[in-house]
Amino acid sequence: MIQVEIQYFAVLREQAGRAQESRETAAVNPAELYEQVRQAYSLALPRAMLKVAINDEFCDWTQALRPGDRVVFIPPVAGG
Amino acid sequence: MQPFSFSQQPLEPERYRAALSDAAAGGYASFEGWVRDHSDGRRVQRLEYEAFESLAIKEGTRIVAQAIERFGIRRAACVHRVGDLAIGELAVWVGVSSAHRAEAFAACRYIIDEVKHRVPIWKKEHYVDGDSGWVNCERCAQPGHEHDAGAHADHRHDATPAFAHDYSRQMALPQVGSAGQARLRNASVLVIGAGGLGVPVLQYLAAAGLGRLGIVDGDRVEASNLHRQPLFGIEDVGQPKAVVAAARLARLNRDVRYDSLAERVSAGNVDALVADYDLVVECSDNFATKFLVNDAVVRARRPAIFASVYQYEGQLQVYRPREDWPCLRCLWPEAPQDGLVGNCAEAGVLGPVPAALGALQAMEALKLLLGMQLEALSSVHVFDLLNLQWRTLHARRNVSCNHDRVAAAQQPDLADLELAFADLDAARASGLTLVDIREPWERMTDAPDESIEMHVPLSSLLEGRSALPPGGRYLIICAHGVRSLALAERLRGIGYREVYSLRGGLAAVTA
Repeated sequence: MIQVEIQYFAVLREQAGRAQESRETAAVNPAELYEQVRQAYSLALPRAMLKVAINDEFCDWTQALRPGDRVVFIPPVAGG
Repeated sequence: MQPFSFSQQPLEPERYRAALSDAAAGGYASFEGWVRDHSDGRRVQRLEYEAFESLAIKEGTRIVAQAIERFGIRRAACVHRVGDLAIGELAVWVGVSSAHRAEAFAACRYIIDEVKHRVPIWKKEHYVDGDSGWVNCERCAQPGHEHDAGAHADHRHDATPAFAHDYSRQMALPQVGSAGQARLRNASVLVIGAGGLGVPVLQYLAAAGLGRLGIVDGDRVEASNLHRQPLFGIEDVGQPKAVVAAARLARLNRDVRYDSLAERVSAGNVDALVADYDLVVECSDNFATKFLVNDAVVRARRPAIFASVYQYEGQLQVYRPREDWPCLRCLWPEAPQDGLVGNCAEAGVLGPVPAALGALQAMEALKLLLGMQLEALSSVHVFDLLNLQWRTLHARRNVSCNHDRVAAAQQPDLADLELAFADLDAARASGLTLVDIREPWERMTDAPDESIEMHVPLSSLLEGRSALPPGGRYLIICAHGVRSLALAERLRGIGYREVYSLRGGLAAVTA
């Protein structure tokens, strides 16, 4: 298990009911991590619609997670 | 003949007219401004014109060049009288020769209107009753200015043009200065969407003194817009946003030319719109438009500034037309469907959220136009205004992104027609022969061109009086890159393979 910092934006923040959290996880990459939080908070958006960034760099969903990583899930937004 | 000049002596329209004759012109239109014997109900005896000549000639020359580019006319010129004039004398003359009459009339009208508006010339009226007064200065041209006693008490009529004062606070910045202000005055920006983001973008860019501002929005003002779009008033509800915005902005700054288009951006108009401006600021409220604009700026190789908001959050992304730079599709390979993640109508929004993001877009636009402090890495900036947090997430070009295919698929023939160079030396280093196609009178004005090998005026090429030796590799150069692009396209069509147009013309390499 590792500890990661997660930040949620836009509709994800609303559905998760939080802007950020510190989470213990067995996930090895952000794809697995998202599936976990998706089930935990009943998030509606499929992963294919999101971007993920680790430590301020957009990255692949398969990038290996490391302890202390700051993971950001971002849906596209269109309002103007 | 100089495109714009002053004369101490009475004007000679016949002589000027002869200078515009051109075998390819099918017509000629002119306008003459005369000294009349009355003004605001007072009898006028004579007039005195005074100009800030060095600046006026530059601005006047620019206006004539813009008219030639904009209307595709053959030749044009304007001469303004200075000194003492009697009733009935000619104060100003404008002449245009053109292939067709519609362009001749339009260009003539354009030139006189712009000269009246932009060129620092002052008129002093001497009345029959012995009194006199300065009129028609730039500030007097503003609406609401009454010509009653003491009308001029609030401002002096000296030879300093009003617009130099207007921008002094931004010109005081070392990164702006008069050179930067000139860049802004020559710049054109297309703002797509006059909503919560677009309103501050339009206001700050208009206030900064751009040359031309395009406003595109197909919507009408709704009462529910006003809390985040305070450019509009309650009395505007039901009116087309693009039209109302242009009218409001004209009250803020009349130096700027406003193109307002009360239409939705569509696949049918987006390419022509984007190509007509230096920079695009994307302020729409839906994914369909954002991706349409993304693809068009990639095709046209224009920089663009995207922003979106969701409740208390906003995202900002700058696109620059560089090989290593990601576009919107690099991040979001498939355009998200509208309705899935919420817009302002569905999700709610506080007015200052889009206002903050719009102000940032305006700031990025000015930075791009002024060539200052550009990001070395492409980023998406994510703002959380509720918690006052800001994250900068670096984004890379996605090698599997189809943005090049988007670019190539739709404009196969024109993809490499334009080349951009930092300066003429860089252009020459590419092995191309530089060809200046400006007319002789244009070359007498300001741009340094001693180093260009070939001078072949466009008029003589089009009329077949001269031709480029076949088989050569040419970079065609004109003032702003419009005529050179048209010529390069034409030459490709008749078998010249390696002919290119210098993007932005001499203005781009000497700025």
